[in-house]
Amino acid sequence: MSHNEGGHTAAATELRLQWRLSRHARRLLTLGLAAALAATLARRPEFTGIAAIALLPLAAGRISRPAAMTVRVRPSSRRVFEGEQVAISASCSGADGWSVRWTLVPGDGLNNAGPTFRDGDSVRLLAAAEHWGRRRMGAVEVTLRDRWRLFEGHAEHVLPTVDCYPHPAAQRTRVVLSRLPNRLGEHVARTPGEGTEFAGVRDYVPGDRQRSINWAASTRRGRLQVNMFAGERSQDVVLVVDATSDVGEPGTSALDLALRGAAAAAHAYLDARDRVGVIAYQWGGVAWRPPGLGKRQVYRIIDTMLSASPYASDGGEVARGGSFRRMPRAALPPGSLVVVFSPLLDQRFIETLRELRERGFTILVIDVLNATPPSRPRLADKLARRLWTMEQEAIRFSLRELGVPVTHWDGTQPLDLPLAGYSRRPLVPLGGRR
Amino acid sequence: MKVRVKPAVAMPAAAILLGAAAVVWAAVPLVHHGLATLALLVAIVFVTGGALRQALSWIPLPEDAFLLPGPVRAWTGFLQFLRMPPWEEIAAADLVWLEVQHFSRPWHTALLGLVLMAYLLAVHLAESRARVSSLRPLSLALGTGLVLLAAAAGFAMLPAFAPGPGAAWLRVLAALAVLAAAALALPRS
Repeated sequence: MSHNEGGHTAAATELRLQWRLSRHARRLLTLGLAAALAATLARRPEFTGIAAIALLPLAAGRISRPAAMTVRVRPSSRRVFEGEQVAISASCSGADGWSVRWTLVPGDGLNNAGPTFRDGDSVRLLAAAEHWGRRRMGAVEVTLRDRWRLFEGHAEHVLPTVDCYPHPAAQRTRVVLSRLPNRLGEHVARTPGEGTEFAGVRDYVPGDRQRSINWAASTRRGRLQVNMFAGERSQDVVLVVDATSDVGEPGTSALDLALRGAAAAAHAYLDARDRVGVIAYQWGGVAWRPPGLGKRQVYRIIDTMLSASPYASDGGEVARGGSFRRMPRAALPPGSLVVVFSPLLDQRFIETLRELRERGFTILVIDVLNATPPSRPRLADKLARRLWTMEQEAIRFSLRELGVPVTHWDGTQPLDLPLAGYSRRPLVPLGGRR
Repeated sequence: MKVRVKPAVAMPAAAILLGAAAVVWAAVPLVHHGLATLALLVAIVFVTGGALRQALSWIPLPEDAFLLPGPVRAWTGFLQFLRMPPWEEIAAADLVWLEVQHFSRPWHTALLGLVLMAYLLAVHLAESRARVSSLRPLSLALGTGLVLLAAAAGFAMLPAFAPGPGAAWLRVLAALAVLAAAALALPRS
């Protein structure tokens, strides 16, 4: 039996077939042998009749069987979002005169989205990814049967891995810094420039374009006035995902919300021509992607997050033992907006945020903690729960005192709602070095 | 009014009825010597197990039963157990053994063979959801088997050439030789 990691293109693979009797043939053989044995031991020839009717069909079904067959298996995509389906097209050659059954055996985290098996030389099987992660798609089992269904040839084709991306939350608004780098973009800056947003009038100086003269203002003031426009700039956004703690119910846990929120933020900021990067922080290391532009950056960002998550099957490109202190300059450009998705449960991560703040970065924390310790009637449990609640409040208070706004997101509402207080006007960093 | 039974229901029902008929046919008249009672009990258990497997085969099994509640887990375990043993094989072999416990009655044994074969074919059709017409390629082999079944029963009714075990052995060997010859003579496809 050969195992082949199929690619996106339908490469032909030769599978070696393992032949064996079908269940039906095994039953007939058992009955025939039992009857022959009974006839011999009991010296009763009538039992040979039972053996005859059971064994003769097996004798009739002897034909030459192929030792191998060629299959082409191709998944429709190697990247899907949560809940989306992957269609697996499979076809074979070299099995003329045999009925072919294809059975999909999905890998962990994937389910059959249609019939478990299909018959035919060319079929399409469906699998659905329920939860984000880098997952093995499973395998396709091929079964060849003769027309009497007495012999079966089995082979297995191993499918490649599939990247199941977290389903992005809804986010249409963006948080914009008050001070933007001198790079063309779509955010209205406070400095005058060549944008389309009217910013005021000023006296005419030689060299100004004639078409920018504001004639109404010039008439009122008695000297030539020209229109000024606000500049349009882009910003650097670094998304920080805290993967150190994953608490809450599966599907809506803190890590689920962090990844969905980060995916939504990546979409929103990249749509506004901002440069977006990501840092995924987990126990023993960080994985990062420097800020970049374009639609492809969304997939790069999510790939980075998946490689750093504890559900990554291959471990990803995680820099073990790394920390923010050792972060390359490209991962955290000066003056960038840092949007953090975290349940704020890991003290080391909170210290890291404080350190980032001291380095002058403008940080916005989106709290994705939606779970609390179980409430039990025992006094000690109640006290422990109260202490835990107070500790959490203290953590959030200390961050706000440092000038790090913390806003809570429950995962069900759009991200625009918790960010409403910060997206209506430019975010001005409080204190800290500039 | 004509009632039409769906094939998906008809064939498992036919298999269950044929299994029950084979048990009853092999058991009567009841004998109480040797291990006949045990053989009957085993046949009832395994035919019932096969019937349950057929009846519950449409229920899918969850991939991971770890997080399921206790009763559901027990039900899943029961379904998994039902799908493991070779119920029909053991039942067929056991019914042959039960028939051996009776005194020689060739026509009765031939009919049992017929019912057992029908039982196994019905189980196969129910399992594979194939039509009865899918057995057409086997018609020659099945027809030859039927002729041999009838011939073996008739052969057993003839008196032995001589008293003693040697003559009985020779009869059996002759019947097995005819079976082997028929198997070799059948055309290969």
